[in-house]
Amino acid sequence: MSIWPETYGKRVLNEVDSTLNEAARIAPSLTGPEWILAHRQTAARGRRGRAWANPSGNLAATLVMRPFGTTENAALRSFIAALALFDACVAVTGRADGLALKWPNDVLLNGGKLAGILLESAGQGQGVSYLAIGIGVNLAEAPSAAQVEAGAVRPVSLLSETGALVAPEDFLTELAAAYARYETQFQSYGFEPIRQAWLARAARLGEVITARTSTSETVGTFETVDGQGNLVLLTAKGRVSIPAADIYF
Amino acid sequence: MTDNKHEADVAFIKALAELLRDNDLTELQVKRDYGDEDSLNVRVSRMGPAVAAAPVQVAAPAAPVAAAATPEAPAAAEDPASHPGAVTSPMVGTVYMQAEPGAPSFITVGATVSEGDTLLIVEAMKTMNQISAPKAGIVKRILVEDGAAVEFGTPLVIIE
Repeated sequence: MSIWPETYGKRVLNEVDSTLNEAARIAPSLTGPEWILAHRQTAARGRRGRAWANPSGNLAATLVMRPFGTTENAALRSFIAALALFDACVAVTGRADGLALKWPNDVLLNGGKLAGILLESAGQGQGVSYLAIGIGVNLAEAPSAAQVEAGAVRPVSLLSETGALVAPEDFLTELAAAYARYETQFQSYGFEPIRQAWLARAARLGEVITARTSTSETVGTFETVDGQGNLVLLTAKGRVSIPAADIYF
Repeated sequence: MTDNKHEADVAFIKALAELLRDNDLTELQVKRDYGDEDSLNVRVSRMGPAVAAAPVQVAAPAAPVAAAATPEAPAAAEDPASHPGAVTSPMVGTVYMQAEPGAPSFITVGATVSEGDTLLIVEAMKTMNQISAPKAGIVKRILVEDGAAVEFGTPLVIIE
């Protein structure tokens, strides 16, 4: 069991609308990075207003910080969060089999969606005033297939796939410890070691995948993730780098 | 004989000019070899219509071009990025004009905004970056559409 990283604050709430909303509220008064854990969220949300099912016993947490650096740099923490989550899962289950990362920050377990990570930042000019990394993990229970969009990856839980039942606060300690390690590495050495570690855990590298946005669809061989975090696909028309899309296998 | 050749050359050049116009080309160069030391080398070109300033999608930060703008030259191709009220994108990504699909847009042209108000979202790497108004004012122009891909430095909105 890891110990809590001392430079990170922690607040545990019984109930909140959304830990991401709470992050935005406390951001102006932050003195350092802080994790917010909620045992219950009444208005949990996913990307672009999608609902996020949040049964009790699952992890609902947000890390909020006021990072130095550019907006583009802040967005690279998508990969740090995914790596930390991957490592936390390994720490609590004792194994990495079946775990894989989907660009940019989905954690898959046995091909199913175990967790969701959504980052929100606000800023003026070239920097951000705060960054919030919302993380939901199906520790005890996955939403039913009826609760997710058609075509979405099958939801799974850590309990159903591995038999490990981990309390949210215990899981958060592993997650916070892993996050702190990667954040230190990122601040010292930049994105490259993060990129390499991410690629080593990537699903479908070298295979044909589909990247969809609201206006376009790109099909190509998943070649790599570049130094800016873009997904690089080799398509019939050449190499395409994609900064934002939903990925389908 | 010489006259005939001259007429033929003129006709040839006229034909090239027509070809240029009909195919909307800006320049055409042809070399005809009639024999040793006897050739015709023609280059037909036209200046593009000066008013049709193509939309310049240059993401580079607009360098201050001092003194370049002479009072006589009408500022036909004004670059929105160099506008003092321009809000530019801090990163490569996708623009969203609403908090979520179906929600009202954050801003409309003519709306009054306060400093810090969210104007739109630019997403990259699943990071939703809210772009805030750097100052209070009126939204004069919205230069991007919902779902548009933007580069670093792309002008998004003009606030005055």
